[in-house]
Amino acid sequence: MSVAAVKPRQVHPPRLDASGIIARIGPGTIGLLAGAILWELIGRIAGLSFFPPLSGVLERLAELTAEGKIIGNLLNSLTNLVIGFGLSAAIGIGLGMAMGAYRKAEMALDFYVYALLTAPTLVFAPLFFSIFGPANSRFSILGVIIMYTVFIIIVNTTSAIRNVPAPLVEMGRSYCASERQLFLKVILPAATPLIMAGLRLGMGRAVKGMINGEMFIAIVGLGQVVTDAGGRFDAEGVLAVLIVIITVAMVAVKVVQLVDQRLTGWLPSNARQRRRNA
Amino acid sequence: MIEIDRLSKTFPARGDDASVEALKDVSLEVREGEFLTVLGPSGCGKTTLLRIIAGLETFEGGDVRVRGRSISGPGPDRAMVFQSFALLPWASVVANVAFGLELRGVPKAEREARAEELIELVGLTGFEKRLPGQLSGGMQQRVGLARALAVDPEILLMDEPFGALDEQTRRLLQEELLVIWEQSRKTVIFITHSMEEAVLLGDRVVLMSPRPGRIVDIVDVPLDRPRASVVDDMAGSAEFAQITADLWRRLREMQLFRRPAREAAPTIGIGA
Repeated sequence: MSVAAVKPRQVHPPRLDASGIIARIGPGTIGLLAGAILWELIGRIAGLSFFPPLSGVLERLAELTAEGKIIGNLLNSLTNLVIGFGLSAAIGIGLGMAMGAYRKAEMALDFYVYALLTAPTLVFAPLFFSIFGPANSRFSILGVIIMYTVFIIIVNTTSAIRNVPAPLVEMGRSYCASERQLFLKVILPAATPLIMAGLRLGMGRAVKGMINGEMFIAIVGLGQVVTDAGGRFDAEGVLAVLIVIITVAMVAVKVVQLVDQRLTGWLPSNARQRRRNA
Repeated sequence: MIEIDRLSKTFPARGDDASVEALKDVSLEVREGEFLTVLGPSGCGKTTLLRIIAGLETFEGGDVRVRGRSISGPGPDRAMVFQSFALLPWASVVANVAFGLELRGVPKAEREARAEELIELVGLTGFEKRLPGQLSGGMQQRVGLARALAVDPEILLMDEPFGALDEQTRRLLQEELLVIWEQSRKTVIFITHSMEEAVLLGDRVVLMSPRPGRIVDIVDVPLDRPRASVVDDMAGSAEFAQITADLWRRLREMQLFRRPAREAAPTIGIGA
């Protein structure tokens, strides 16, 4: 069908049948629109307080924004996200490199990394809270974000270093590269695609960590708005904030993707695809 | 120029694999400006020998000297061309060719000018900005050759450089290598498993046999130089056929009668 639909487009003006419209607007937009319409319709027909229609949610979002509950809390949350993700990236890439380069470091730490990667991370929230107390609740939230984020970055960085093709390292040595040159000019660029994959996954987890931390520990930021709305059985408010959070997550992941594409533009497109599916 | 003196190398046992005696008492002298080809079946240690000369591999016994000095690792006097090309996939053709110079701290403008010369020499003008992934195998190995020549080494170490290429590309590159070598007259050690390639390129052919890897003979190739312009006539000559046939006969014997060592042969079947 795609061949038949695409071919005439070159010559004739766009047709107004279904495939012509899809081709013009793009299937992504169509999917979003269809979801929005479905949400609105079901919300209206069902008339359930816990499943409000989309229009109601958007209205509530406008109200919350007007009340000043969104922007300030959003900035607060974003600060947590940026610091938490930054620390996770620094720690994760550092430890991952050590584990990738030194077998003994990997053997010593492997168990902990995988144990904590699979552990239900939220159980650490009360721990952090009792360590830092209510006065330093930001540290607790950062702690939760890091616990969510750092291990996936470690795992990816470790395998990134381990998977640097041996012939490249050998080539570097044969041309008299110093250890420093070998690392900066061969190993690091060769490992970048997998490291970036780890950062991408890490960013998604960091957003989850941020919200969970804010909801369960300190009642600040967007987490606070969600908790408040939930306490008042304000389904529209909860969903409104959820839309904001999802937008934040998508933008954050997109930022990482853009950095990724700049750094690894040399990858053939099929390799990029494979890496994404992995 | 290069003296290899009773060189021995054993790869230690690993897991279920027994230790392997890759090289045993290998002695060889490589003359200055010589094109030496090393021929042998797989497992004869020819690549290990090259890697030791390149300084990429340790060894237990013997010595390797370049101009009288024992080697202790890679050096600027030697450059290697790899069977797998080993190009940096994120770097352009220019950057790959200039890589050895970059490691030596040569300024960017200077090393790129030098790289440009070599790119022209190997016939890749116009492809400077391409990435390795956008080139055919033959073109990639041209880059590998240009990279090695860019650092102007005294010795060119080539590890089955055309082994991963198709027959037609291989022939073209053999010819071009001869052209380049006849101009520069660098000392070349060239590993191959092809009799024709060994004879076509080499002044002498070192014949190696496996388990343990050792040199069984060094065959002089009495074909005239320069050869680049007469490759096709030469490859069709009776003399060429005679030498390659003789080498094949001996290689085939090695393959047919693979035994740990000649003196151990009678014990086979009796048990330890």
